[in-house]
Formats: sequence, structure tokens, C-alpha cells
Amino acid sequence: MRLYETGFLISPNVTEEEADILIQQMADIITQKNGKMAKLEKWGKRRLAYQIDKFGEAYYVFFHYDGGPDIPLELGRRFRQMDTILRYLTLVKETQPNVRKKKKAADRRRAKEAAGGETADAAGPAESGAPEPRKREEA
Amino acid sequence: MAREERSERGSYKKFFPPKKKFCRFCQRNVKFIDHKNADILKKYIPDRGKISPRRITGTCAFHQRKLAEAIKRARLLALLPYVED
Repeated sequence: MRLYETGFLISPNVTEEEADILIQQMADIITQKNGKMAKLEKWGKRRLAYQIDKFGEAYYVFFHYDGGPDIPLELGRRFRQMDTILRYLTLVKETQPNVRKKKKAADRRRAKEAAGGETADAAGPAESGAPEPRKREEA
Repeated sequence: MAREERSERGSYKKFFPPKKKFCRFCQRNVKFIDHKNADILKKYIPDRGKISPRRITGTCAFHQRKLAEAIKRARLLALLPYVED
């Protein structure tokens, strides 16, 4: 089981009710395939940043769901068959913990250890080195 | 001579230091940049709609990678433009 996120654009020439029916049909596919809908986002009609198939706006819908890999495949197949879907995008959501933070914490720990060792070493030569040039100036 | 010039340039910098840039995402401890949040992404695509480089925005390498990916995804869903003129 994995967390997926599918977003799609429905063309603006369908009415709002028709769009709702379409969204419901797609949501049913997820439940049929033993998936779990985590979140359903409906943004409604929204202006597009550029024209798609000569349409200036579209209905934005986002599904967040948990399920097997057959669900996004089936959704994608349906989307490609329908003319009313302008675009779709499916992502696998990352559930792994942030690797970078771990590495950073480890680096910091290492740096601390190194700094603790270095200061003890560096203190010796710095103290002995500082008075030497002064002596030369006096001479 | 060369050394004097360099020192002069250094002193100029001392009086007018360039504004220190920093990563806005690190500041807020962001772990994931959402492609649906077009308002944030818009700040990183000035005028022409190109992704602004790290050297200008000050974003760290980690977040710049995530940001570029998010912008490209947003473009596909027509939330952001590919080109703007």
C-alpha cells in the first residue's frame, strides 16, 4: 500500500453537476479496488496559466488516496479515454523520513567531536606561537 | 599595487556589504514543497516564467531541487506558465 496523489483537470464545457458525477465515478474506482480515499480536494473552476485545447479555464480536482499500484493505472486508463479530462498527474507521495536532516545531524555531531578534539590540540601551538614574533620585534 | 587595489575593493565592500541571502525554506523548516501551492512558486518565476537561479534567490541546493521539481509539475497542471511575455 502506498500513498498516491492524483490531480486532474475537467474541461469547462461540462456542467458542475456532470463534473460532480464524474468525480464520484472516479472516487468509486478507488473504493472498488480496495483503496482508501484520504482527501478529496475540489478547487472548482479556475483560470489556466495557458490554454489547453483552446480552453481558458478548467475544474481542478485532487485525490489523495492509499492503495495498490493498480488504482493509478486504472485511473490513468480512464482519463486517457475521456475527452473531458484535459490533464492528469499522479504522484507517489514520499512517506520516508527526511534523509537530509539525519545526515545534517550526523555531520553536526561529527563536527562537534572534531571541534572538541581540535581546540585542545590547537590551543598548544597558538599560545607558544604568539609570543615568538613579539620577541623578534624587540630584537 | 595589485594588493592596494584589492584592499580598496575590500574596503568598498565593507561600507556597502551585499545583502546576505538565505534560504526561505530552511528558515521555515519546510520539508516538502507542494506543487499545488502556486502562490509560493510564483515568487521564484519572475517575468518570463523561468525558474530563477540559486545565486539570485539564495535558496539552498536541497530546496532548489525540490522547488524546480514542484514548478515543473505545476506547469503541467497549468497552474504556472511555461512561457510568459
